Order: sequence, then structure tokens, then C-alpha cells
Amino acid sequence: MGSSGASGNLEGEMEVDAFRRLFPLRFHERHLLESIRPDARPLERARESTVALGAVASADGSAMAKIGHTTMLAAIKMEVMTPSSESPDEGCVAIDFHMPPICSPFVRPGRPAEVAPVIAKQLSDAITSSGMINLKELSLTTGKAAWMAYLDVYCLDADGALFDAALLSAVAAFSHLQIPAVSINEDGRVVTMSREDGDGKLANDPVIKERRKLTLNCILFSLTCILHKKYILADPTAEEESVMETHVTVVLDSSSRLVSLYKPGGPVLAYASAVQDCIALTRHRVKELQKILNEAISDMEVD
Amino acid sequence: MLSGFNVILSTISFSIETEEAESLKQQVSFTTTTIPTALLFSGIPFEKACQLRVKGEGGLSAATAGTMVGLSLGEKHFIRGGIAQDLRTDGRKRLTYRPISVETGVIPQANGSARVRMGTTDVIASVKAELGKPDLLQSDKGRVIINVDCSPTAAPIFEGRGGEELSTELSVALQRCLLGSKSGTGAGINRSSLMVVEGKLCWDLYIDGLVVSSDGNLLDALGAAIKAALSNTGIPKVHVATAASADEQPEVDISDEEFLQFDTSGIPVIVTLTKVGRHYIVDATSEEESQMSSAISVSVNRNGHICGLTKRGGAGLDPSVILDMISVSKHVSEQLMNKLDSEISAAEADETES
Amino acid sequence: MAGKAASVPSTYSPSPTQKKKPTIFKDVDWVRPDGRGFHQCRPAFLRTSAVNAASGSAYVEFGNTKVIVSVFGPRESKKAMLYSDVGRLNCNVSYTTFATPIRGQGSDHKEFSSMLHKALEGAIILETFPKTTVDVFALVLECGGSDLPVVISCASLALADAGIMMYDLVTAVSVSCLGKNLVIDPISEEESFQDGSLMITCLPSRNEVTQLTLTGEWSTPKIHEAMELCLDACSKLGEIMRSCLKEAVSISKE
Repeated sequence: MGSSGASGNLEGEMEVDAFRRLFPLRFHERHLLESIRPDARPLERARESTVALGAVASADGSAMAKIGHTTMLAAIKMEVMTPSSESPDEGCVAIDFHMPPICSPFVRPGRPAEVAPVIAKQLSDAITSSGMINLKELSLTTGKAAWMAYLDVYCLDADGALFDAALLSAVAAFSHLQIPAVSINEDGRVVTMSREDGDGKLANDPVIKERRKLTLNCILFSLTCILHKKYILADPTAEEESVMETHVTVVLDSSSRLVSLYKPGGPVLAYASAVQDCIALTRHRVKELQKILNEAISDMEVD
Repeated sequence: MLSGFNVILSTISFSIETEEAESLKQQVSFTTTTIPTALLFSGIPFEKACQLRVKGEGGLSAATAGTMVGLSLGEKHFIRGGIAQDLRTDGRKRLTYRPISVETGVIPQANGSARVRMGTTDVIASVKAELGKPDLLQSDKGRVIINVDCSPTAAPIFEGRGGEELSTELSVALQRCLLGSKSGTGAGINRSSLMVVEGKLCWDLYIDGLVVSSDGNLLDALGAAIKAALSNTGIPKVHVATAASADEQPEVDISDEEFLQFDTSGIPVIVTLTKVGRHYIVDATSEEESQMSSAISVSVNRNGHICGLTKRGGAGLDPSVILDMISVSKHVSEQLMNKLDSEISAAEADETES
Repeated sequence: MAGKAASVPSTYSPSPTQKKKPTIFKDVDWVRPDGRGFHQCRPAFLRTSAVNAASGSAYVEFGNTKVIVSVFGPRESKKAMLYSDVGRLNCNVSYTTFATPIRGQGSDHKEFSSMLHKALEGAIILETFPKTTVDVFALVLECGGSDLPVVISCASLALADAGIMMYDLVTAVSVSCLGKNLVIDPISEEESFQDGSLMITCLPSRNEVTQLTLTGEWSTPKIHEAMELCLDACSKLGEIMRSCLKEAVSISKE
């Protein structure tokens, strides 16, 4: 047999490939015995990840995140709304997650992927419940106008751990977000200030908001692990997700506080110790991701 | 009840049989006889057999719809050969149209309407004008919305969502041919004339095309019907009652008696040249369309300027062939334009007499 | 939270909506907004194998126009489809919500899917994959003008990456007519003020036009000029695409 890392002759490789397709579970379990995964990772290691800020010029904030092959593009567009009467001094954040047909052979046009609404809900739950964004900061004039931040995350390539990548791109997009400078015109509508007429109008306009960044109260990161028998596999690929079905997703903030934990059923019942191990792995992963994000932000500032 | 059930069963089994027969024919295409396919379906009406087949097909693209015209190899040769010799199956020359008849004012509720028949192709166009608010970006222009519907009475494949793709294709092609570019050049309909009060009030024209019977050349027929319907259209005169302030909608009084006529001289005609073999033909029937490699629809206005162009069919064309087709269609368009104008004025005269 | 999502208030984009046509476009010599010459295309970036999950894919960037196309298959046709001795081609074009300056306006382009289909079907050798379907899905990440030509060129690159047999690559270029001038590869701003447009998709090495659309009012000599301009640009684009494919192969061999 041998792992796929070993370079045999062509026939040998074909055999491994056939075995992988015919007996996927045995293929993966054989790897687990050796504490290695088909892509030569140790069980607890996540795939290489990158973040690039400002990928979409037409958006107010955007980021592209890659975890292995899984690619997410997140962009934020700011629009103006009239705040509700219950919270007149608060803006709003609307989060949506899309899986267009380009990302995976299992998504077809007109038939949206089943997981897309689930991930959209998880994302908006995690971001709103953690208080990462102070909605008061999105207010323009109390009771009259406030910002609505539309965050749309698109999956461009689906290869497992979709939520982790989506959250990473969403958080990166928020840290890249520049709230545009606006003023209120004669009709009571909020308009962006173009550079030419900005100076002349300054005196007359009732509300001027400078171009500014959003302060993030905390920064969220997550790690999805697969539980299979006694093994814990961090950051699974799509193939691993399809073979082994019990997932645990842990979301922590930058000071390692637990924001949320999902274990949606699955055949493996986890002991408390296994969950603790998952959290420990996530804690380690948070440090990695924090570093990657900080590097992306400082890269952006240099430019 | 029971007998009806039996009949359906037998037709289904029959259609499967013919299906097999057809695929067989494809495999041994050179040795089979040249019996028209209609004969293969003897016993059930041809259309019914088509319908059964289409139902199994699910979504049917407009491209494959052409091949649904069941033609035997002999018939195909006959059509192609006729076109090559400038004598088509119905006795026409390559650049001759079928008889065109125009009838205006067929829908009394609409502001304008017309029915155009070209041979057995039969289409109706209606124009409805409604008062609306102009777009912010184009505050001095009214809107024109063109929409085409393919009726299931025209062909069984248009039932349900079957005609949707063809409808969109035709609507897009008509918009491209009649509405001109974004800045308004080349538009057959002067949208500035639809303006009532700048930025406040304008006429929105809803132009609806309906394909009643389909036997090829739908785009040209629809273009002609829309031209006829627009020259039949009267838009009520609007008196703006009060000089409204900046943020109010002005009060208006719509006249019942005075109507404004449209200037339709600028509306282009659409000429579709269908390429079969090495030759092009105008006004192709659906049988001829099934043999096409590609087709070009050119809309030409009275000045001889090209106002829109679309290509149909997947096969590639040499650029010089395209330029040649454009010049041929320009030549043909003059005759068609004159023919249409005389038909339209005759129809208008008929309508006022009756 | 759920309640909030359900009662999303109506919002509007704060960007100024009143746009007046800049008069400069009408003059004989004006400078294009991005400083290009009239007959100069935007800098292009092409890359194949952008999406790992697909059988073939490509990412193409022309200035601010960014497009990803994935190709899946040949794979089993839908159950409802009947037997066909040639392959089927299925195309779909969609936009991200943030592609356009005002959110969610990209869905106006329903006809793009069928236009992509028509541009490609003449180039693909459908006989090589009987009974099956090839799916071509495009996502416009950001639209900066000339979207459809970029989608078409990108799709043919993705088809080549997927190893689908084609007679030739399909390249597409559009020109806008602004006043008396013809400008190639227009950006959104130029497109919104154009007096006419012409788009050609062609098979550059066979010198065949698979798709041609034209709007606005054109005289025949102008059409000649525009077609020549487009065909020239198409053949140059074809060379760039070819070298991009060659490069991808030589990298994967290493």
C-alpha cells in the first residue's frame, strides 16, 4: 500500500488511487494508524492559509482568504437605512454566504447548496453574538439614518472547512472596511462626498462623517475538527469531510474566550476530553491566524 | 374513462417505437429510404408525437428546438438543393418574402396593436402606454419595455417553460434592434418624446409581442408587427394642471379625445438572413431554419444605417461573409421597408373605414 | 437575530445618482478615463486552474473586470435528458452582489448565459463526449466594463484547461463608439455613455466569427473599421491566451 507521499512507479500509484476511490474509509484509517494524512499533514495541523485584503475595488471593505484550496471572497458594501424605532442609534449588519456553482461539482445553478444557509446562519450568529462590531458606531443621525453593512461571502473553491475560511474572510473584510465620508444633501438623502465638491460644501451640510475605520471589539477565529474513533483531525479537506462525518467547530475570540461551539450530531459521541482537545487545538490555531491577519493588515498599510 | 386511458398508453408505446426507428435511421443513414418522417408517425398526429417526446426532454434549449422539425434525409436534401438552385420548396427565390399581411388595431384595449402574418407565421404586437416616473439616471426620457411571449398554440414545445428561452432570446434581440444604444443613438423610438414633465412624469411604453403561429422568421415578423403597432399607437395628450413644487408629483389631466401620433419613420426593419449551405435566404420557414448553419439579423433604418445586429446559430462565419450578408440585407431592407409601409397605411385606411 | 434579518429595512446606496454626461467624450481628442489610447486594451491577467474542485477553470482580470469560470464534466446529463449522440453544453453566468457599484444590480444580465452558450458552441467538438454534459459556470467578481467578452474569453481558457476538445480558442473583444471615435475594450463609464457598441467573438486561427452583436446606429464603413479592430485584438488576445496555457503546462511538468 504505502502512503501517497512515497513515489512509486506509475502502476503502484494507480493502485493507491483505485483503493482510495473504492475503499475511502479504509484508505483514511490506514493513514490514521501512521498518524499522517493523505496530504502529508500530521493530524492536528491545519493547512497553509493566506489572507489578502482589498481584493474587490468596488466594495468598501473586502478580503480573500485561502485555507489550503478552500477559497473565500468576502466584501462589504455600505448602504444607508432608516434605523428601527427600538434602536434608533444603531446600524445593522446583514451577512450572507453564497456558494455559486463554480465552487464545487455538487452545486448546480438554480439549486443552491444545502450547507450555504447553515453557514450563513452560523456566521451571522457568531459575529452578532460576540459583539465584535459595535452597532452604535454605524449610526449617522439618531433616528434618521444609519449604516447597513452588507457582508457577502462567496465561496470560490470548496475543499472542506468552509466555515473557518468564511469566518476568516469575513473578519478580514471587517478589518479592511473603510466607512465612506458622507454628507446630507438638500433632499435629506445621504450622499458620499466626492473629492471635488467636498471643500465647498463643508460649511452648509448638517452631518459630516469622516472616512474612518471600524473598531473591532474582538476578533473571531475558528477551527473545524473531525472526530473519528479516537482520532481528532484538524482542518479537514472535502474528501475527509465526506468520509468521516462527525465535525466539531470551535469559535474563539482573540483572548481565547469561547464564542461558540457546534457539534451537529454525527456518529461519534464526544467525551468532554475530546472537546477540550478541540478547544486546545483551536487556541493554537488562533495564534497562527492572528499572525496571518496582522501580516495582511500591515502589508496593506505599507501599500 | 378506461378507453381513454388505453389510448394514452398506446400512444406512449408508439412514440417509443418511433424513437427507436429514428435512432436506427441515424446509424444507417445512407441506406434508409427517404420516407418523410410524418409517415413514420402514421396513426397519431405528428404534433402529438412531438409533444410526447418533448415532455421527456425536460428543459429544451432553443438551439435544439430547430432540430425538432422531423425531416427525413431526402427532405433535407430537397430543401438544401432547392436553395442552391434558387428555387425553394414553396417556389420562392432566395431573397423573396412570403406574402405579408398587416392588420392594425386588433386589440381595442391597447393604445396600439397590429397583427402581421408572413406565410403561416403569425404574430401580434400591442403597445400600452402608462404614466410613470422616469429613472433618476435618465430623467428626460421615458421607458420602453419589450417583452415577447410564445404561445403554446404556436408549437407544443412552447408549453410551460418550454418557450421561455426563445422568448428571452427574441426580446433581447428586439431590444437590441429597436432601442439603440445606451445614449439613445440608433433608437427607433425617440424616448425623449415620451417625457411629460422632466424628472417627474413620463410615458412608459410596454410593447408585448405574442407568437400565435410559428413557422420561421419570428424576429422579422415581430419587428414588423411592432413597427405597425407603433404607427397605430395614439398616446393621449396630457395637460399638466398645476405647476407643482419641487418634491410633489404634478397633477395631470389625461385627454380622452386628443391623441399624439408617433413618428415611426425612424423605426428600422429587421432582416434575417439565414445561411443554408453556401447561400443566404430571407424569410426562412421553420423547415428551412432547421437546416441553417447560422443566421444574421440586421436592423436597418430608412437612412440605410445599421441599428442592430445579432447572430444566431453556433457555426462560425468568415468576417468577409458577414460583411457581404450585411450589404445584402441592407439591399433587401429597402424593399421590405417600402412593402411594409404600404401595407401599414393600407391597414390603417381599412381600420378607419370600418 | 432572526427577527432582525426578517425585517430588513429598505436601504439605498449613498453614491450620488445624478450623473451628467461629460462633454469631453464628444470632442475629437479626449483622454480616456484610465489614460489609455483609443485602440489600447486594458492590461490583462490570465491564470488557469484557479478552482481546484473543477475539472478546469480560469481566472481573468481585465483592468477592474474580474471573472472566474469553472468547467465541470463531461459528466452525466440530467436524468430527464434523452439520449444524444453529441455532447451537451450548459452555460451559466452569475454576478456577485458586490460586482456592481450599486449592490445587487448584476442580476440584470439574464441573456448572458445564452450568449455565452452561443459563443462557445461553435468551437467545441461536441462529438467527442456523446451522452454527457459539459457545464460552464461563470462568476463575475467585479464588473468594470466589457464583462461579456471577458467572460467568453475566460470560459474558453477554462475549457482548454479542462481538456475539452475545441477547434480553436474563443476570444471576444468589444468596441464602443463614442462620438466619432471607436474605443476598444471599454470600461463601465465609457459603456454607459456609448453611442454604439459592437462585440465579436471569434476563433482567431480559423478566422471565423462565432458571435456578433451590435447596437446603436452604424454606417457600413464604420462597421468595417470596428470589425477589423476587433478581429485584430482577438487574434492578439488569442496569442496571449495560448502562451498562458503553454506556461501552465510547462509549470506543471516541472
